[in-house]
Amino acid sequence: MTDVASRLAAKRGAIVRNQAFWGVVAIVLLLAINVISDPGYLSIGYNSETGHLSGNLIDILRASAPILMIAVGMCLVVATGGIDLSVGSIMVVAGAVSMELLSSMDGTTGDAVLTLAVALGIATALGAVNGVLVSVVGLQPFISTLVMMLAGRGIAKVITGGQNTTADNDSFAWLANGYIVGVPVVFLLAIVIVVLVALLVRRSALGLMLEAIGMDSRASRLAGVKRRNLQLTVYSASGLLAGIAGVFATASVMTVDVSRTGYQLELDAILAVVIGGTSLAGGKFSIGGAVIGGLLIATLDKTVVFLGIPASATPAFKAIVIVVLCLLQSERVRSLFRHRRALRAQSQKEAVAA
Amino acid sequence: MRSIPRVARAFAVTGALALGLAACGGGDDDTSTSGDGGGDLVTVGFVAVGPEGGWRQANEANVQDTFTEEAGFELKYAPATNLDQRSQIDAFTSFVDEGVDVILLSATEGAGWEDSLRRAQEAEIPVILVDRGIEPDDNSLYVTRIAPDNYEVSTSVAQWAVSQFPDGGNYFVLEGPAGVSVVNERNKGWDDTVSSVPGLVKVGAQTANWSTEEAKSVFETVLRANNNDIQLVFAQNDEMGLGAAIAVEEAGLTPGVDVKIATIDGTRPALEALGEGRLSFVAEYNPLFGETLLEVVNQVLDGEEVEPYIVVPSETFDSPEAATAALPSRQY
Repeated sequence: MTDVASRLAAKRGAIVRNQAFWGVVAIVLLLAINVISDPGYLSIGYNSETGHLSGNLIDILRASAPILMIAVGMCLVVATGGIDLSVGSIMVVAGAVSMELLSSMDGTTGDAVLTLAVALGIATALGAVNGVLVSVVGLQPFISTLVMMLAGRGIAKVITGGQNTTADNDSFAWLANGYIVGVPVVFLLAIVIVVLVALLVRRSALGLMLEAIGMDSRASRLAGVKRRNLQLTVYSASGLLAGIAGVFATASVMTVDVSRTGYQLELDAILAVVIGGTSLAGGKFSIGGAVIGGLLIATLDKTVVFLGIPASATPAFKAIVIVVLCLLQSERVRSLFRHRRALRAQSQKEAVAA
Repeated sequence: MRSIPRVARAFAVTGALALGLAACGGGDDDTSTSGDGGGDLVTVGFVAVGPEGGWRQANEANVQDTFTEEAGFELKYAPATNLDQRSQIDAFTSFVDEGVDVILLSATEGAGWEDSLRRAQEAEIPVILVDRGIEPDDNSLYVTRIAPDNYEVSTSVAQWAVSQFPDGGNYFVLEGPAGVSVVNERNKGWDDTVSSVPGLVKVGAQTANWSTEEAKSVFETVLRANNNDIQLVFAQNDEMGLGAAIAVEEAGLTPGVDVKIATIDGTRPALEALGEGRLSFVAEYNPLFGETLLEVVNQVLDGEEVEPYIVVPSETFDSPEAATAALPSRQY
């Protein structure tokens, strides 16, 4: 009996210590708050006008797709002990390239495919520039990606001539707004990409090698890990994923907003990665955790609007949720609570005995 | 020994990047680089907002096209870096130090300009506010402000709303970023008229940061939270109104029939949408006042008195026909 109980307790301890667990708790709590304000919040209906599923949960899944993309890219970069501040700017470059190309084309599917290839190619190339600056030149990741963050938005402005370009292409818009058997295409794509990346890094030694670089890059080199190539690959992959996020974000309204698209989303991505239990010190990463973090941020954004929180109070509300979450994740804060609980139990026992 | 070439290489790369950027950026301020036009040109420093949307683009291009060398001016155009006030203050200060003849200022943020404006006053450089006002609005610090009247424009939207919904209805407001003077003025104009009509119920207001993408995401959730029971949207710029129209369509409703959307600005995409019936009302916030500005600058330089606030007249468009009629001559 005691054996089973202690094993259960140990398992529970492991779950509670897993940081992503608290992300899930936060998502459930936020959804619960929404359900309290409107009991029908979780219901998913079939919209006969448009012919696909609709509901708040579906909206959250759609809104989370771009964040998932950049969070996964950021996760890989952080694993090597780096950071990529340029994801938001690469998003706007990919969006600007897409809209600028599409606005001068006819709107066929072929055009959409070509545009997608060019936009993602440019995004990957920008990521590769980050990679070269970090791995070959040996600059700090923070600085090299900061350069790209500032340059990227400038490049986007040059591409569109400072304007917010609009375009028309049904196939391209389908990527962000379409549905397959009622489920949003954009979320399906995001999940497929996340699963592919996860399989690639976890079913091969790639993930371990990335972590090795993050732990101790010299030791990993002595152990035969090709640091330069891997860093180049990881930053390019982050650029590519940011490009996909940019396509998702602009395709949903078929407009690129050079000063707002992807603005400060690098912070959301870093937040998602940290909430998911990946240490910014590098050497350890969790793609599942980053996905949970991304979903949490999307849920939080949607909750703020659903509850009708005044615009001026929105940042404070988000900050409070995130601070509470980080406190819960902290081992030290939790042990403080445990300690107090134990003290209280003890004093009660003494009171009973006396 | 090894580290020096590496540092040198790093500088070379960043230097090359910076050069590349400078080359890219050089295209749009050709007026400022060709400064060698002799002493008879009037130098005008334009502390501008930079890329923000279709309206700003039209406004700043119009100012740049007005103050040409042929007209006897040398315009120094200084757009803000990513809408940052700090970069504007820096540009403003350097114009004062250079001793330009006039400074035109479109502030990204209203507050915090007193010290800079006082410096300009001490240097006896007249400052003219273009579009954006300052807070607190102390008109001893500047010569005049030239702008369309936000209060008047949003009042015209509100009057249309009242006439369209005699039996009342639910409405939602899509605002710009909290705290910007434009947002406060547009809210005030709307509220002062609409609050007198008991039937019109405000369901809520939320910022979408002037962005189409955010407006779509916000309004899609607002429709859900209210079971699609919203008849009117007041979007404080065109971009957000277009985002709301997409959200309405995706919810399976028809914009213009189920939900009427009114916007401010009057850019070309908005008028096209009005022509298609996706928007229901567009109030122009006229950006093309370069001519008026030129007149005022000349008056100020001649030492004449000018009014502290000069209102630029704006039009409204309330039907697809009005939009189609206006589109061919639309410059922005």
